[in-house]
Amino acid sequence: MRSRDTRTAYLLLAPSLFGVAAFLVLPILVVVWLALQRWDLIGPRTFVGLDNVVAVAQDGRFARSLLVTAVFVAIVIPAQTVLGLGAALLLNRGLRGSAVFRVLYVLPWICAPLALGVVWRWILAPTDGALNALIGHRIEWLSDPVLALPSVAAVTVWTQVGYVALFFVAGLRAIPSTLLEAALLDGAGPWQTFRLITLPLLRPTLFFVLVTGVISTFQVFDSVYALTPKGGPQGVTDVVAGRIYYEAFESRAVGQAAVMAVVLFVLLVAITLVQQRWFSRRTTYDLST
Amino acid sequence: MTVPRILRNGAAYLLLVLGAVLTLAPFLLSLMTALKTPLQFASQQVLAPPAPPTVANFGELFGGRYDFVSPIVVTAQVVAVILIGQLLFSVFAAYAFARLRFPGRDALFWVYLATLMVPQAVTIIPLYAVFADLGLRNTFWALVLPQLFGSPYAIFLLREYFRTIPADLLDAAKLDGAGTLRTVAHVVVPISRPILATLAIITVVTHWNSFLWPLVITTGRQWQVLTVATASLQSQYNGNWTIVMAATTVAILPLLVLFLAFQRHVIRSITLTGFR
Repeated sequence: MRSRDTRTAYLLLAPSLFGVAAFLVLPILVVVWLALQRWDLIGPRTFVGLDNVVAVAQDGRFARSLLVTAVFVAIVIPAQTVLGLGAALLLNRGLRGSAVFRVLYVLPWICAPLALGVVWRWILAPTDGALNALIGHRIEWLSDPVLALPSVAAVTVWTQVGYVALFFVAGLRAIPSTLLEAALLDGAGPWQTFRLITLPLLRPTLFFVLVTGVISTFQVFDSVYALTPKGGPQGVTDVVAGRIYYEAFESRAVGQAAVMAVVLFVLLVAITLVQQRWFSRRTTYDLST
Repeated sequence: MTVPRILRNGAAYLLLVLGAVLTLAPFLLSLMTALKTPLQFASQQVLAPPAPPTVANFGELFGGRYDFVSPIVVTAQVVAVILIGQLLFSVFAAYAFARLRFPGRDALFWVYLATLMVPQAVTIIPLYAVFADLGLRNTFWALVLPQLFGSPYAIFLLREYFRTIPADLLDAAKLDGAGTLRTVAHVVVPISRPILATLAIITVVTHWNSFLWPLVITTGRQWQVLTVATASLQSQYNGNWTIVMAATTVAILPLLVLFLAFQRHVIRSITLTGFR
């Protein structure tokens, strides 16, 4: 009986086992191997040892892209968390029509980030864009080196706020109303209630939103590619995923791009593990709610 | 002592409406521009509604010069094939993990979970190398194969769900002489309809919007998907915003319709799964 179960199980698992091995595990090995080769996408590959590592370390653009990405994450995550929580508090007042607003707010998140990036590229265009027409000034939102990164970050926040709000709405609903009523009876004001009861009880949601947000925002590509191609003015929007793409598929320095990919992988795994440890120590998030 | 309730609710409504305007404005503005002729766009106020609205841009978009029919067909085919493969193979794997006892089960499941940490930006270069070596660059198979065999994420969600199915039901099917496949098809799948519908929507949205892998692995028009076609149109005709906004409308609208039709499902599924 046991062995029949085993046979059935492995037959059922065969397709996904192949998929996981071929398209998720094998690439990790191949990318490390590619990092030691010189390759231009077409010709033969030649083993060059650690030359690519040295080249990446000497070329300042990869370090810059890490910094750009860190700043991008540092703008997007606090902004979307605060705005998402604010939206959720408004949506949770039991007002008529709240469900409709909740649906509207999620709309950008369902659409292709690439397509929305193109839409915003028009809206933020200097001469015939909608935003400059509205405010009556010519502002170079995407080609000014100071404004480009905040502009791209703002578009990202616009895309994700509704999505973040959904989690906070779910979190707020899970708070027993008896607790809030008790606080009210004890004479606590709305701000005190929020700070002393709502916020601590939202902590699991908050951590979940922060963890998943940091990891996905760190990998941003589509919208940045559409808004500010080739790293933007003076490379100020050259995020890591974009740097890897341009290095491999425009400069055709695949080996160096592979080095960057390995670094990105190690970084993301480290971030995930650190956050998870922090997570498991402080709180548990129940996926079934 | 406190602000009257009606005032506070009024302020809340005001903020909610403001949020809705900020959310919807880009969609409406791009649609308005898509419905203008280039001449109208140049001569009228950018924010003015099209007078009169025209669908000429869409006619042109689907005509010979831009040929946006092909990317829609390619995208729909890719999404359909991935959807079938992912649901089928994820159900298989999830059933094995949830309901069968076999050596190596927990270790293997741990490996599946660990692969959730592998970011796309990392796999794109090695996958490109593998597909190039196999001579599969710029083919339909290149677009679907990496996603076809189930996703660890879907397997994880389905496994959680399958574990809640009462053992009696599965035992009854076994007593009736049903094999594993029959049990899955006639007992497990019908019970799991809600989670399967959720996963189906997640899969459609994710792969309709997919951009980086198709951008890298296809060249030319033949296997161009909608997102890549939109990006290439934008860079080729930068400044011809009326035709570009028609293209983004085509890329966005089908999903908006799908979303509005199934919004209850999607909203529940997002908070259930936190997908993406």
